Amino acid sequence: METEKRKIGIGEVLLLLGAVFFIAPVLLIGITAFKPDSEIVHFNGILPKQVTLGNFREILGNGEEIPIFRWFGNSVFNSTAISLLVVSVSSLAAYAFARLDLPGRKWLFPLIVGTLMVPGQVLLVPVYLILNRLGWLDTPLAIIVPAGGGAFGFFMLHQFFQGIPKDLEEAAELDGCSRWGIFRNVVLPLSRAPLATLAIFTFVGSWNDFLGPLVFLDSVDKYTLPVGVALFQTSYYAEYGLTLAAAVLCTLPVVLAFLIFQRNIIQSIALTGLKD
Amino acid sequence: MNYRRRAGYLAYLFALPFLLLFTTFVILPLIYGLVLGFFRWDMLSPNPARFVALENFREAFADAYFWRALMATVRFVVLAVPLTIVLALSLAVGLNRVPRRRQAFYRAAYYLPTVITISVTGILWRWFYNSEFGLFNASLAPFGIKIPWITDPNWAMPSLVLMTLWWTVGGPMVALLAGLQNISPAYFEAAALDGATGWQSFRSITLPLLRPVLVFVLVLNVIGGFQVFGQVYMITRGGPELSTRTLVQYIYETAFNNYRMGYAAALSWLLFLVIGFFSVIQFRMMRER
Repeated sequence: METEKRKIGIGEVLLLLGAVFFIAPVLLIGITAFKPDSEIVHFNGILPKQVTLGNFREILGNGEEIPIFRWFGNSVFNSTAISLLVVSVSSLAAYAFARLDLPGRKWLFPLIVGTLMVPGQVLLVPVYLILNRLGWLDTPLAIIVPAGGGAFGFFMLHQFFQGIPKDLEEAAELDGCSRWGIFRNVVLPLSRAPLATLAIFTFVGSWNDFLGPLVFLDSVDKYTLPVGVALFQTSYYAEYGLTLAAAVLCTLPVVLAFLIFQRNIIQSIALTGLKD
Repeated sequence: MNYRRRAGYLAYLFALPFLLLFTTFVILPLIYGLVLGFFRWDMLSPNPARFVALENFREAFADAYFWRALMATVRFVVLAVPLTIVLALSLAVGLNRVPRRRQAFYRAAYYLPTVITISVTGILWRWFYNSEFGLFNASLAPFGIKIPWITDPNWAMPSLVLMTLWWTVGGPMVALLAGLQNISPAYFEAAALDGATGWQSFRSITLPLLRPVLVFVLVLNVIGGFQVFGQVYMITRGGPELSTRTLVQYIYETAFNNYRMGYAAALSWLLFLVIGFFSVIQFRMMRER
């Protein structure tokens, strides 16, 4: 068995080669961002002949034109707020549907879950107009609040809550616990794993969201990182070093978060991919 | 009765915040979008929105740009979806044979690009594809090969597909791998005892048992494929010669460059119908056999 484990067949060599192709571009952004422009434009090998911090210095030092810290802060704020909103709102509703016998649940539930099939782009124009009516365009509210209406977290937590044994809740009820008390002190602590998974999932998803912030935000100082970096690419078209340095700053937090939480993230995909 | 009614109120109290947001930002926009599709509303013109019945849809069917965008989208789906599924399945099967520890490494490696935002992915691949100093052409230069990756209308779409493959194959791979791991090894042991080859047991055990996950992944990919936007927006902006202007890119331009909200809403509904049509076909396929 031990020798079996150490054996690397031709299949795995292919897997390894493939993995290199998948990781290399990510590393390449990091490495190339330390090259001066002249070396990027005249490609001569992967490693820089001359390592420079110039690209980073220019980006980070030019807060007027390239408010990258501002964008970073906006992204952190928006994604945190969205995760909190989604987790709290969906867990409450999912509990009401899974356990509280919500009247009308029989037709409401399929309606909500059915909207998972609706592509986001269909909603884009009307949501834009509703946000315009509310006066929320070009504010963080436009990015944060609509996210709370998404059915994904609701559905995921609903499926999980249904699996919690009822006995626990009944015991708490006999002890005179209120419904709210049961939810807070029994159900939520039992659901730490799926709640965390949903939070991470939502955070990464909203951090990378592009179309929403692109359409709903207007002022440069309200942009999130992805949209800021995209704008950046448009205006600093020819300066690849700067663009790549911006890309590094944008990517680093997500890649770190992914490496730390990858088990949860990957498990949640496997879970949501299999639950029906 | 009284108690039940009170319990009902309580349930609605719990669900209220979500239902409020869901109604405002999902249900209302759905209805609003449908209604809007029957109006002519050009935000740049001083005229107010007016009801035009099916005029927008009639315009779409006569709009050569709409058909081109639809064809570009179909071309993307036809290229990207089968390649993604085949690659994801091959990777999942390969990973499933690797011992746990190394498997976790490979899984993370192939999934990594998925967590990178599209604007960074776009910057990266624009640089790869750059015909003058891009990494690809620089590496091919010694062989005397120079490929017009995103500057030639015939090459642009396959180039977008290649990049999409890198960016998105991780998700389906993870789902398929989880599906594979749910298949009991007993089946394979029995098949091996009966002298089945690896290919035979793959065809008659793995594929049929994996079918639900496979269909799920396929449906998601087709839906996602029809919605392709970020890649197009970041890398080609629909060019060259509109060869990569997909439906969502066209809708985006119609709504947010030209501010023709009614027409954009109608186009969105047509996109939704196309996606719905293919989803139904695929779910049918799942139920058969």
